[in-house]
Amino acid sequence: MIGRYVSLLAVRAAARGALRLIRLAIMAALIIAAAPVSLVAAASAATAWLRGWAPGRLYRAAACCAPMIAAWLAATEFATGSWRAAVAAPYLAWLAMWHDAAAGRYPAAATVIAPAAIPVGLVAGGLAWSYRLRSMHTGTGGLSPGSAVAFDLRQWRHQVRTARARITAPGSVPLTSQNGAVVAGAVIRAVGHRPGLLARIPYPRMRSHQVVIGTTGTGKTTLLLRLWAGFMATALQRHAAGAGRPPLLVVLDCKGGADARRIADRARRVLRGAGARATAIWPDEASLSLWALPPRQLTTTLLDLIEHGSGAAAYYADVMDAVVALAVEAPCGPPASAADFLTRLEPGWLSLAYAAGEHDAELALIRSSARQAGDIGLRFRTLFRRLGGGLDGPGGFGDADAWYCILEGTAEIAVAEAQARALTDLLASYAARLPDRGGQAREILLAVDEFSAVSRRLPIWQLYERARSLGLAVQVSAQSWQGLAADDDERYRIAASADGGIWLLRTPHPEPVTGLAGSRKLVDTTRRLLGVPVWGHQGTSRIRLAPVVDPALIRSLDVGQAAYIYRGGVTFVQVKRLVGGPAALPGPAGVTVPSAGRPARGQVAPAPPAHGQPAPPAPGDSAPGPPARDPAAPAPPARGGSAPGPPARGPSASGPPVPGPAAVPRPGMARAPAGSGQSLPDVGELLDEAFGTEASP
Amino acid sequence: MIPADGAPAPPAAAGNLAGRDVTGLLFAAEMYGVQLDQLAAVLGVTEPRARAVAARWRTRRYAESARLGPGAPWIWLTRTGLASCGVPYAQAPPALSRLAHIRAVVAVRLALESASGYRAAGAYWRSERRLRARLGGRVGLREHIPDGEVHWPDGAPVAWAGECWAIEVELTPKTVSRTIAIMRELLSRTGDYGCAAADVLVPGLPPRHTRALYLCSAAARPTVIRARDAIGSTAARIEIRALPSGAAMAPAVPPRPGKRSLRQAGAGQQDAGKHGTTR
Repeated sequence: MIGRYVSLLAVRAAARGALRLIRLAIMAALIIAAAPVSLVAAASAATAWLRGWAPGRLYRAAACCAPMIAAWLAATEFATGSWRAAVAAPYLAWLAMWHDAAAGRYPAAATVIAPAAIPVGLVAGGLAWSYRLRSMHTGTGGLSPGSAVAFDLRQWRHQVRTARARITAPGSVPLTSQNGAVVAGAVIRAVGHRPGLLARIPYPRMRSHQVVIGTTGTGKTTLLLRLWAGFMATALQRHAAGAGRPPLLVVLDCKGGADARRIADRARRVLRGAGARATAIWPDEASLSLWALPPRQLTTTLLDLIEHGSGAAAYYADVMDAVVALAVEAPCGPPASAADFLTRLEPGWLSLAYAAGEHDAELALIRSSARQAGDIGLRFRTLFRRLGGGLDGPGGFGDADAWYCILEGTAEIAVAEAQARALTDLLASYAARLPDRGGQAREILLAVDEFSAVSRRLPIWQLYERARSLGLAVQVSAQSWQGLAADDDERYRIAASADGGIWLLRTPHPEPVTGLAGSRKLVDTTRRLLGVPVWGHQGTSRIRLAPVVDPALIRSLDVGQAAYIYRGGVTFVQVKRLVGGPAALPGPAGVTVPSAGRPARGQVAPAPPAHGQPAPPAPGDSAPGPPARDPAAPAPPARGGSAPGPPARGPSASGPPVPGPAAVPRPGMARAPAGSGQSLPDVGELLDEAFGTEASP
Repeated sequence: MIPADGAPAPPAAAGNLAGRDVTGLLFAAEMYGVQLDQLAAVLGVTEPRARAVAARWRTRRYAESARLGPGAPWIWLTRTGLASCGVPYAQAPPALSRLAHIRAVVAVRLALESASGYRAAGAYWRSERRLRARLGGRVGLREHIPDGEVHWPDGAPVAWAGECWAIEVELTPKTVSRTIAIMRELLSRTGDYGCAAADVLVPGLPPRHTRALYLCSAAARPTVIRARDAIGSTAARIEIRALPSGAAMAPAVPPRPGKRSLRQAGAGQQDAGKHGTTR
């Protein structure tokens, strides 16, 4: 009985073995019979593995061969005059291939079968590669459960290598694509996004809020420079084509220091390459005028620049509010400079300014606050000394295509906070100003780096809200999640409102951001352990949720690699570094005519010297002093407050006339060949001869 | 190229080409095609003589001709003719929708070339077809190509030597905003057509087109003038003139009873071509 059972087992085992051998033999025969297809499939699948390609790329390659097949079949039909021959052509080619191969004519054999074998082989390779990927993703492939992890890591390395090779190839990664999208670099891997060779960020996303997080040395500046340059190039192209407004990029670098200066110089060169004619570096090389703000806004901003106490100190805050409002909204017009404003913070000046007309209430207010006026003047004098001349004009955001503002948030936090407040107020005022009042509608991108260092006076969410109402796009960058804002509530608010996407570079604590990317459904398969170290292929599968962005992968990102999170998907990008050209040479004289009070476009007003130093006389400036803001307004009192004097004659009163809008060249438009001030030679005679005399209108 | 009897097409007949032939072939290649009366003006001969020249080109397979619209027959170059001229253009007859425009551009070129200043300066007309070929099929929606460029060599005995003009022929009015956009693009462009995208608009470099010369029909003229007035300081670089005489297509004549149909006319034209004449 036992012997019979043992023999039965042996027969069953032998039958199984024979069946397996027959199956293997059939498969081997098929592979050999379809040798050209098998070869192409193996080569394509191996290439896809080596390059980390998605199967779709092989399918697309096969689709690209369709014209070749069509031409081959058409030629066959044309040559034979029968469509049946075209139908039988693949089979006949297969036969001819074997005959040629048998005769030793291998090149001829390859040529005969190539039109049919290449596309079919590519499709077969794509299917095989797709099957392999799927089996590894679900955990069913490989010898052990750990094979999937090793496979994924290996594929990541392959994909990184391919992306690096792509960005290294000259000309393979343009700054912008044909449809105006900003190309950030080469795609390493995409999850939930359409896979492509290049990471293209559509321009509308550059006009939305974005967040960039990455520690020092991870390539954050390189990424930001590329995004800024892409924004500038696309916006200028759109403007040149009449499809958009001129761009304005404002960068607030809230760290300061020598590093900020180096980045500013690099940004200037990169932006120049992208088409920006003038990049102003504030406050080192250019200045802005705080006094260009509307009077009411100026009062609010000046008050916000000064720190106020609470409790009993609130009384002094109210007094200061009243005195500043009186000084700014005086009948003779708002102050034109810090010196002018400080002059007004004296009871004598205010009394004389409000002496004419019905100003009884203001005069009473001046009398009651006379004792504190000196203290208020002292505080503002101290503030302006610390702020420097960067906000004392002349100049405005309209004078350049890009502004790189350096705030010393590390060295002088209080000063940087005040500067940040003033700069954002100035930008908001510029963005909200109507064109008929000197403003120009522009597509503005405000990029703030480490704004949390200076956001005590202006919460960043408030900046977001204000920017949203004004149509500004805000790009917030920080070294860590904690650097985004002061508390978690604000951080989540900022990250959640980043409609343009979140850029995540290597950071030690990416979980809050990766959590925002959401999760995706994956098939998770368990495998039975047959014995150490052998796992069987039997087990159970279930659907589980896995994060779209793996935090461990973010922690392991290399320099120049970034994850772009957008709408529940992520694209890992190898960022292409932009190399800026050499520093711009100064333009030839006479290209643009700067006005005395406001520099022409393309030129940026130099920063005035610090307070207390004599200002260099402007050309044609007969009497130093603030420019006359409103000629119709009554004359302000002379300095000293003894008696009202004549209105101070400013450079605009005696200097060259301010060019009108027509004289200001448009952004994106190059300089006239013969200079703006020179007229072109008359060609009327030639045209009259060619086309006849033109009738006068 | 396969004749109706199925016999293979004979190779292009070799033969001596006169300098006049070369001029005419190059002109027709650059302008997409040319009507017989304009070809006569190019060659400086009478219309019957130009007809004979065109027939010779047909015989040598350098050109095709047909009556594509009202007025004189059109002559355009075949692939053989284009290859002989050494121009990398795709062979195609003039598009029916562009016949009027092509004729107007040819008339403008002829008018300019007839001016003594043009001849004295040795100016050079760079056609739209050449500009388009330089782009190599990369013409995007954003890029506007002028109907031609006129290059004035440096050192020419004219005050505007060294300049490059963009030529725009306007037959039908566009919108003012579109015209302004085109004007701005023409006057602000710095790079050549077909250059790298980064060189299209480089700040600090002089613009490619010193002037834009608009030749307008009566219908399009008000729009162009309004656009020029609205463009601001660069308006001084825009010249607006009326189209020269002969720029308009001949008016279409309604078919009369008893007149041959178009197919018959075409067949007759084929026959005429075989016999060395073009009707």
